[in-house]
Amino acid sequence: MIFNKVVLLILNIIIFVTGNTFALSAQLPKKFPFKEKNALDEWQEKIFKGRVLYSVKANKSDSYLAAYSDNTASGIFYQIRFDPKQSPMISWKWKVIKFPKKGSIGSKGSGWIEQDDYAARLYVIFPKLSFNLTKSLEYVWDRALPVGTIKESPYSKNIKIIVIESGSQSINKWIKEKRNIYEDYKKAFGREPGKVGAIAIMTDTDNTRSTAEAHYDELKVGYKDESK
Amino acid sequence: MNLNKRKAKFIGTALQNKTLILVFVATVLPTAIIAVCLYYLIFNMLAWQLGIPEAIAYNLVPVARKVNLIILIALPVALFVIWFMALELSHRIAGPLYRLEKELNDRIEGTKSGPIQLREKDELKALADKINKLIIR
Repeated sequence: MIFNKVVLLILNIIIFVTGNTFALSAQLPKKFPFKEKNALDEWQEKIFKGRVLYSVKANKSDSYLAAYSDNTASGIFYQIRFDPKQSPMISWKWKVIKFPKKGSIGSKGSGWIEQDDYAARLYVIFPKLSFNLTKSLEYVWDRALPVGTIKESPYSKNIKIIVIESGSQSINKWIKEKRNIYEDYKKAFGREPGKVGAIAIMTDTDNTRSTAEAHYDELKVGYKDESK
Repeated sequence: MNLNKRKAKFIGTALQNKTLILVFVATVLPTAIIAVCLYYLIFNMLAWQLGIPEAIAYNLVPVARKVNLIILIALPVALFVIWFMALELSHRIAGPLYRLEKELNDRIEGTKSGPIQLREKDELKALADKINKLIIR
């Protein structure tokens, strides 16, 4: 009896943990139009340092997700499980209203970790059985780093930052993005990715202690590129 | 003859080997399974709770490293203590049996006579007393 109970307990633990680690498979492609005021209900808020204001702005002509950060870092997080080899594409559009104030290279507070703030950032997270093996891609819009830069995060070698927009010439303009997660992962980590387990959006200014604002919209994830 | 103290804890009989391994494995294996499950459960749940990869790397990874270090230091000590206790337990079971067998052999071969003597706290003392009654008769 006790043995049965112990086995049952262990099975429950395994199911609970794997259930968390490997989110349920989703209907693909998954679209996030950010049209309704309650569009963020299906997302989880994850606070790192202080709270970024995420809200859906909807009016007659337009609707989008607005993010405003004032010396804060928090993101919104959506669990979705799919194979990036089968459905490698992710697309969205974003608009930067204000960049975080970063010091120039070589100035005080211009270390790599102090520079790790981005007006607009989108994560694709690849969970593994153990949390310390989980890998992440971060698509960012940076004011200074050139497009195509792939850098290791100052926090972890398991996080790769890919600069896909650069400079402030497109400030206040909607810019559409389309990425092949599978190819980007291989380029960043040099190996094939596992399953995607989550995506996240974050606008942050905690390191630069400044403010930033960005808008996001038309997020679509987990589909094949038919245009090829 | 000093019957209160046995010098060698490991007498190397098959019974002691089996008991030693059984007690050691029966203690270490379930403990290890529960410890790994708890470690995995706690840290993975916390990681999912934090969500943002930087938050995990900044907050959770240093804690996990400290816990790993403590485990690395404590594990050999814990294994040694379990091994020592398993040895002690196996000796308490196998020691008197070994002695009883040896004493009986001595009496069968005629190299010794008189009652068999075991320690007061030995598990087989009652059995030895009954054998002694047979020998005296």
